[in-house]
Amino acid sequence: MAAQMDQQIHRDPALFYWILLPITVVMILTGILRHYMSTLLQTTPKRQIIEKLREQRYLLRSQGLRVAFPQISKSAFEKRKEWWIDNAKEGKFLADPEARGAKPNPISDPAMMENMMGAMKGNVAMMVPQSLIMGWINAFFSGYVISWYGNANVYGVVVKLPFPLTPQFKQMLQAGVGTRDLDVRWVSSLSWYFLTLFGLQPVYNFILGSNNAAAQVTQQMAQAQMGSPMGGADNPDKIFAAEVENLEVIEHWYILDGVEERLIKKLEATPI
Amino acid sequence: MSLPLLQPSTATSFPTSIALTAQAPSFLKSQSTWFAALPYPLSLLTNTESQEKWQIYENLFLASLRTGADATAWQCLEALVARFGKTNDRVIALHGLYLEATAKDEHGLAAAMRLYEEVLIEDPTKFSIRKRRAALLRSAGKTAEAAQALVNILDASPTDAEAWAELADLYLSQGAFDQAVFSLEEVLLVMPNAWNMHAKLGEVLYLQASRTESVGEKARLLAESFRRFCRSVELCDDYLRGYYGLKLTSTRLLELRSTSQKQQQNTSDPSTGDLAPPSTETVKKLNAIATAKLGEIVRRASSGEKGWDGFSKAELSAARDLLDKSTLKIER
Repeated sequence: MAAQMDQQIHRDPALFYWILLPITVVMILTGILRHYMSTLLQTTPKRQIIEKLREQRYLLRSQGLRVAFPQISKSAFEKRKEWWIDNAKEGKFLADPEARGAKPNPISDPAMMENMMGAMKGNVAMMVPQSLIMGWINAFFSGYVISWYGNANVYGVVVKLPFPLTPQFKQMLQAGVGTRDLDVRWVSSLSWYFLTLFGLQPVYNFILGSNNAAAQVTQQMAQAQMGSPMGGADNPDKIFAAEVENLEVIEHWYILDGVEERLIKKLEATPI
Repeated sequence: MSLPLLQPSTATSFPTSIALTAQAPSFLKSQSTWFAALPYPLSLLTNTESQEKWQIYENLFLASLRTGADATAWQCLEALVARFGKTNDRVIALHGLYLEATAKDEHGLAAAMRLYEEVLIEDPTKFSIRKRRAALLRSAGKTAEAAQALVNILDASPTDAEAWAELADLYLSQGAFDQAVFSLEEVLLVMPNAWNMHAKLGEVLYLQASRTESVGEKARLLAESFRRFCRSVELCDDYLRGYYGLKLTSTRLLELRSTSQKQQQNTSDPSTGDLAPPSTETVKKLNAIATAKLGEIVRRASSGEKGWDGFSKAELSAARDLLDKSTLKIER
């Protein structure tokens, strides 16, 4: 393995114009296409029915009460707490009081179905062009003899990086190239495709504005945060029961307790 | 252009609104150039779409309605309708505002009301429209109906601070102090650090105290009001209304204590969780501090010192009156 000095591969300069540039341009254009496709496929979020909204807001109210209770006096807090707990136990805040205790079925819920369809459409808009282009690059640009006078027939090598790299990068930079001894600095066309796939985000930001749908990385992250669409639906009755417990254990303190001493101290610290 | 084109016009003063309206024709002209009227695919190239643009349109619309420039307002509204469609919540609310503002008589107002109600039958979740409806009811003098409308809004959406504040104001105008206090507490639960709301609650409590006959209750309310003002100035330095209230309530508290010394002891009741009344010494101290601070604010603001502008003229002169009155008392 004495070949580590500096490999001289005579690269056809036309490779730059016929492989590197086309791949980059095609990648940018697909990104833009993907952005517009997902914009077109996006379903406008359906308006929530008022009962569902009411349920959510009452839950929010209790959460607000749990956070901001120091703002009101103990009697005012107790009054609100008891009222909320009584009503929650009777199920008055629920969107559908009759269906208490029934586990909602995500398949039968049309809103849930629609959500799933929307996510699916987004995925399709993402996956189809990606696999198409990858197939295209594989079919077109590999199996491509670039060096006429070199001693090795190197397939699909397009560009040489201007800096040295450790052999661990081989997998990343020379996908689809079966030579073991090739210097890591040579990048194959398929790898160039992957590099542009993940590295073009700033370019899309520049062309399409910062909240574009072209970059799949951010979308995948959003999906991961959302969790699976199936697991999201919990029984609202249970959520309210948990909230009742949370509310019951709160120990009240009042922000106005000793505020005058605090104020005097503060104002004396900073003389007028 | 130093005009606050992007600020919501409720925050701008009336002279600014007039200045804005004067600017409106040139702005509208700048928006309609020849290349903006190109047919569809070409018009994409000359797109000037931005959030700020439509914010400006809306603010210009509101400013020109305020100043009575109805034609300009209509132009802005048409642009907004052309962009967002007639069924957009916000556009409907703005359209309703236009109808309300240009209504000549009862019939005009009824038209606006019909618009709101039609929209609400279709979709009761459009809270901006529901709020407009409540506001229209109130301005038409139907206080009970307005209160009912607000209560309905709050039943569907109990975390809406704006609606709670409006309801508090409505109750206060009717003299229903307990309800007003409750509503303001709800506002504070949503926005715990709103110092103006703390001061507002202090004001309501003060009013309630001044209407109460029983001395013990009066002292309790005054102490509560006093503490609310304390909290308000603790949150916001140099808050004129807060210091004004602080001075007023502390003076009243001291007066009350000097007249009824013995009743002070039993007002604190730990079972209801009420706080013990503040000690006379602290009240005196804070009274002195508030007086000094008010004097400073009035002095600096009226001499136009840098960084001390922006106080309301009416509030400043009220503060000056209060200070004058208290010095008179001391001289006497």
